[in-house]
Amino acid sequence: MSRFIATSAIRGATSAVEQADTMLQDALKELGPDTPIRFTDTVGGGTVYYLPTIYGLLGSKVETLGDLVPVMEHAKSLVPPVPRENLWLPYLGETLDAGAATLYAFETIEGVRFAKGEQPEKKNGFEFNGPINDAQMRSWGIQMVDGRMPGFAALVGAAKSNEVAVKIVRELQSRGQLIFLCSTSNGRSIVDQLQEEGVDMGYDTFIVPFGSDTISAIYALGFATRAALSFGNIEPGDFRKILLYNKFRCFAFVLALGPVDDLKYAAAAGAINYGFPVFADTVIPNILPTGVTRFEHVVSMPFDDIEGKDDLEKAERLVQRCVELRGIKIKIAKVPIPVAYGPAFEGEVVRRADLAVEFGGKGGMCFEWLRMKDLDEIEDGKIEVIGPDMDSFEEGSKHPLAILVDVAGRKMQKDFEPVLERQIHHMTNGAEGISHQGQRDITWIRMHKNAIAKGFTLRHLGDILHACMHNDFGAIVDKVQVTLYSDPAKVEELIEEARAVYKERNARMAGLTDEAVDTYYSCTLCQSFAPNHVCVINPERVGLCGAYSWLDCRASFEINPNGPNQPVPKGKVIDETLGEWEGVNNFVYEHSNKNIERFTVYSLMDAPMTTCGCCECVMAIIPEANGVMIVSRDDYGMTPSGMTFTTLMATVGGGLQTPGMMGHGKIYITSKKFIPVEGGIKRIVWLSQNLKEELAEELKEACEREGVPDLIDKMADGSTVTTVDELLPFLEEKGHPALTMDPIM
Amino acid sequence: MPDVEIPLEKWTGKVKEVKIGGGGRKEVVVGGESTLPFLAFESSNPNPPKIAIEVHDKEPTTWAAPLLSAWGDAVKDPGTWAKKAVEFGADLICLKLLSAHPEGGNTGPAEAKASVEKVLSAVDLPLIILGPGVAEKDNEVITAASDAAKGQRVALGNCEEKNYRTIGAVCLSDGHIAIAKTPLDINLCKQLNIMLSDMGVPADSIIMDPDTGALGYGIEYGYSINERVRLAALGGDAMTAFPILNHAGGEVWRQKEARASDGVPDAWGDLEERSIIWEAVTATSVINAGCDIVVMCHPKAIERIKSTIEKLTGK
Amino acid sequence: MALTGIQIYKFLPKTNCKECGFPTCLAFAMKLAQAGAELSACPYVSDEGKAALAAASKPPIRLVTIGAGEKKIEVGNETVMFRHEKTFVHPTGLVVRIKDTSSADEVAKTVEAVKSYSVDRVGMTFGMDGFAIENASGDSATFVKCVEAVSSKSDLPLILMSSDASSMSAAVDRVKAAKPAIYAATKDNIDQMIELAKSSGCPLAVRSSDGLGELAELTEKAAGAGVDDLILDPGVRGFADSLVTLTQIRRLALAKRFEPLGYPVITFPGEGASSLDEEAVLAAQHIAKYGNIVVIDCFSPAAALALITLRLNLYTDPQKPIQMKPGTYQVGEPKETSPVCVTTNFSLTYFSIAGELESAGWPSWLVVCDTEGLSVLTAWSAGKFDAEKIAKTIKGENVAEKVNHKNVIIPGGVAVLRGELEEELPDWKIMVGPREAMAVGGYLKENWKS
Repeated sequence: MSRFIATSAIRGATSAVEQADTMLQDALKELGPDTPIRFTDTVGGGTVYYLPTIYGLLGSKVETLGDLVPVMEHAKSLVPPVPRENLWLPYLGETLDAGAATLYAFETIEGVRFAKGEQPEKKNGFEFNGPINDAQMRSWGIQMVDGRMPGFAALVGAAKSNEVAVKIVRELQSRGQLIFLCSTSNGRSIVDQLQEEGVDMGYDTFIVPFGSDTISAIYALGFATRAALSFGNIEPGDFRKILLYNKFRCFAFVLALGPVDDLKYAAAAGAINYGFPVFADTVIPNILPTGVTRFEHVVSMPFDDIEGKDDLEKAERLVQRCVELRGIKIKIAKVPIPVAYGPAFEGEVVRRADLAVEFGGKGGMCFEWLRMKDLDEIEDGKIEVIGPDMDSFEEGSKHPLAILVDVAGRKMQKDFEPVLERQIHHMTNGAEGISHQGQRDITWIRMHKNAIAKGFTLRHLGDILHACMHNDFGAIVDKVQVTLYSDPAKVEELIEEARAVYKERNARMAGLTDEAVDTYYSCTLCQSFAPNHVCVINPERVGLCGAYSWLDCRASFEINPNGPNQPVPKGKVIDETLGEWEGVNNFVYEHSNKNIERFTVYSLMDAPMTTCGCCECVMAIIPEANGVMIVSRDDYGMTPSGMTFTTLMATVGGGLQTPGMMGHGKIYITSKKFIPVEGGIKRIVWLSQNLKEELAEELKEACEREGVPDLIDKMADGSTVTTVDELLPFLEEKGHPALTMDPIM
Repeated sequence: MPDVEIPLEKWTGKVKEVKIGGGGRKEVVVGGESTLPFLAFESSNPNPPKIAIEVHDKEPTTWAAPLLSAWGDAVKDPGTWAKKAVEFGADLICLKLLSAHPEGGNTGPAEAKASVEKVLSAVDLPLIILGPGVAEKDNEVITAASDAAKGQRVALGNCEEKNYRTIGAVCLSDGHIAIAKTPLDINLCKQLNIMLSDMGVPADSIIMDPDTGALGYGIEYGYSINERVRLAALGGDAMTAFPILNHAGGEVWRQKEARASDGVPDAWGDLEERSIIWEAVTATSVINAGCDIVVMCHPKAIERIKSTIEKLTGK
Repeated sequence: MALTGIQIYKFLPKTNCKECGFPTCLAFAMKLAQAGAELSACPYVSDEGKAALAAASKPPIRLVTIGAGEKKIEVGNETVMFRHEKTFVHPTGLVVRIKDTSSADEVAKTVEAVKSYSVDRVGMTFGMDGFAIENASGDSATFVKCVEAVSSKSDLPLILMSSDASSMSAAVDRVKAAKPAIYAATKDNIDQMIELAKSSGCPLAVRSSDGLGELAELTEKAAGAGVDDLILDPGVRGFADSLVTLTQIRRLALAKRFEPLGYPVITFPGEGASSLDEEAVLAAQHIAKYGNIVVIDCFSPAAALALITLRLNLYTDPQKPIQMKPGTYQVGEPKETSPVCVTTNFSLTYFSIAGELESAGWPSWLVVCDTEGLSVLTAWSAGKFDAEKIAKTIKGENVAEKVNHKNVIIPGGVAVLRGELEEELPDWKIMVGPREAMAVGGYLKENWKS
């Protein structure tokens, strides 16, 4: 906690309370305690929440001047003494108390002013709005709760220039932020500035001028308080809930324009109570550690030090930074490109005759690389094209292209890079006339003549990715910057870097073991038709549909914390070899409608995973051969178990736990954790032919790893063996290791 | 004689009770079950299922003939319609603001407010108010409807996965009940309830519409989703422990079986008889699977289901 | 405690002799574990094995057959309380009651109406399943005459209803070969009825209105005497009592493995209802809640259609959705200028798109591909709804000959197939429709120019 800020705020609070108390005492003498107080705005709209901040935080219904007396007594008791010069005691607690006292004092002052008929304020012929009425609060409150409006920005003081004032307001409006105005600095107010520039203020333009002094800032908090009472189902007087509600649900902040005096510090301390951070465009001490607010408390961004070619750009950056620091998420309603965009275009093929230009593909070079960056390393929405663009490409020509997507976010993790990168395919394919295939360095993009004719250029790929990353992954992504390199030399240089990263990622994936993590993930997507089925996905076993890896699930959980992928803490080990943990058992029991009591990760015979309807493969023991067989979904033939894939599915599917049989993903076969309890890959005596072909390379590697390089040839497949009677002689002839292993049953 | 000991299920969960109405309006309480429907030997379910009758804000010109003839001119005005629904035994009125549909009139908040006020002043039954089912329009008209019905604790819908926040917020603001609609999937149903709860919608202000298929058109899904949701609730899952609403009428009367008299096989029998049985059988199925509020259309089917509920509950 | 397939396998001979009808002992063991087969099908299982497996292998609710031949009714073998847990297996038998007090004309008319009653749904044909003939006259000769009258006109299975053992005996004697059900043994006549069931080999219904205890006592007596094929009538007739009692019987059979009540249940909704439509509603309740044979008094085509449909719906396997027969369906009366839409053969997908087309006023050709009953996206991701399949269906159905244009609309969910489909159907224009069926009317209005 900055001692400077604490001292200033406490000083400010002390004087605010003194001023309020004096005003109240005078008014009591002058008008008497029964003088009614009713907050109304300039058009006469009122509120049923009395003096809302006092009502919300203290539960006191102030209807007359006399009702304010106990409020002031409470406020006085909250103000801590101003710290002495050599004492380094003041901490957050004192400052926040001072802030609360300030709010009561401010509202008391406005209450007295109302009693005297001095509010809403009129100054130099301008009518300020005064407190927002309930009907307007409801209408905006709904938009804040449903996410159409992130919150409000309280602008306090005056901007560097009229031009900057207008720019700040326009930038905030473009982000749907509600704008409250109050106070002055150096005798100027942003209200004056906007007025001079002819900017309309009022409910219709989402710009509300409260008053010419700092005290009128209380109307912003009165608004926030009522929103919490109204939408948070909170009882008046439950101040803790009101403050928390605002912290987590109202994306509001204070932007102090110009020098900050004691009273503004005191008001800022009040705002921080609500979790609203305070930003200043002048030099003031920062309070960065998070705690009361979600992220930073007080951040100083001296206007002239902001990067930017002119004041307008600086103003834009200032707002951008405020929005970012408050954690406001961006939604882009329409992908800003000159061609249509939507899922209906995903299947388009750009034929040779229609081809305008292509990148990558046979003999070409095109890659995409998504990198995680720090928040201050990149600029959201920045899209750069380095190298030639459409205007210089010949019709039907092929060019190199590098798509670098840099993302930053408070919840972004390095491991999510590949998860997001894989979405580039899906995202770019949505544009009409653009076809995207492959991924990483085998990307192939083709563009239709019509798309180019409509004005599609390389930067629009960036626009698509920027919009889609925000819209689809807003939960983990705060900033997206895209750079498109079409300069051949640059692409060649970067592709080596990218390849090194792909390799590193592969190695990381391979090194990602079950032991290395303490949390697995669930997938309950299939419970709609297999009510008791719970997929438990560990780093070394993909979901049985083959579509979800552990990393995918982790990212999916971050994106949708209430979705079908939930963390499964392993908990206490019950049996390391079987892969049985207390946490996993409990999770599966709860989520299988209390049907599956035990669950092991490593065994086929003892409490194996349940199977839904969409597994890629089913394995089943062949007791006669002391081994297991694996049939894939694409294999329609008969298997040595005497059952086809369909029959096996009918036996294991639907969320049943069937020792000796289990559904799984294809790639699981080559995992190091392939049924280790039963002896791993050496148990496989029969495999669908298509699996053998598809997984040839990975299988070879796995067999070598297990020290049985010639195992593949010893496994039978559907081309030679379809009955158990044929299987046994085959295995004996080949000398399959399963025959001499411990009995599987 | 062999000793027959009847197995009793020891349920740990209980469905929340939700009160609709108040503020001078009649009150109806639904939910509160601590066992499966009508199994009085196991536990007593305090509130029998209720029947809501569908009322539209515009004349249903494309309605099936049996409905039009049963309702006559009453359907020309939502107020008159609602009054007639009271005569036909409604426990609640389900007002559908269909005229707000972009292709069905595209009316706005003012018209919605007027229709709601008409119905509110015509009858004293509690209300369910639904938008036209197009997200943007739903938000617009339900916000207005909510305002018009402030203080009378109506149920507003539909909150859907991609579009629950506005109606959720409106319910919070005006003290109404949110109807959470999901497409025949228990996990989506649960997820939406969690999201509404996260928003702050209180547990006594959520009603679930897990979707309903008409007889012959997916009733097996509607039937099973009701059973699954209810079993989960009784098993102790608080996020499925809300009353269930099913649109038996709306689903049935769209189907050929309830509409066609010409060009159908003789085996289909008489249209009027068939359509009424179709609605009654659909309704009885969902009620047996856990439905708390069944929304219906035809007076004769309603009469039949009313008596069925009475017989099943002994009330 | 039920045994797993692997535990059962250990008791089997492991010879893969196939005499049980399954290709391997393991396959047979797995089926036994699901209560889908009878242990007795294995001739070689040891006595020790038999004893150990007896409990696990005996279905908790016995499968009982009424009638003989193709149209026989098979009910029972249910293993779950709720269809979503696995599936309801043997659809409720819907039987129409004829009283022998009716005139010969009336009987003939009812028999004709019922036996010729047939409805098509999802490409399959359904009808009523049999007749229950009641000896309402109390007269043996009248009863026999009525039974003969019915059986001479119809080969549907019969349930013979009389409390008089000698009347029953006379009637059974006439139609013994058709294996009618004998209804019913009560505490007053059970000995004679058991004898009759034994000698005729016919299934026997047992009725008690005096609680499940007495009912169980009667079935134990019958089973003890060697009559295994029993049907229960717990004597409850109303809405509430039948729901409660039938639930209790199902629970006892499944959860408690209470053998004396491990049989199918027969109900008589007409006796608990005061009108035709009330009977239909009560019958619907019995189809949903644990009635295995439902005897209808008022046969009406409309009600029959509703009940048959409900039964079809509730008895589908939740994991194997109802499928449409693949082919080209007409929505309304399409012309050669009408739209051609492609969809899957998941019945709900079909019904929703057909319904929307119809209500939006677009007569259309709906081409239904065989996706093994999967919906659009599921089928697509399972590789069962791809460009090749769509193209093959369109060609195989000769769609080109039905219309004068070359435009085909695919569901928006599979927009990705457009390119490939253009390859497969080079002379067709592939249009991508909306993702949701609901939007198809608006889509056609905007995009279809005939």
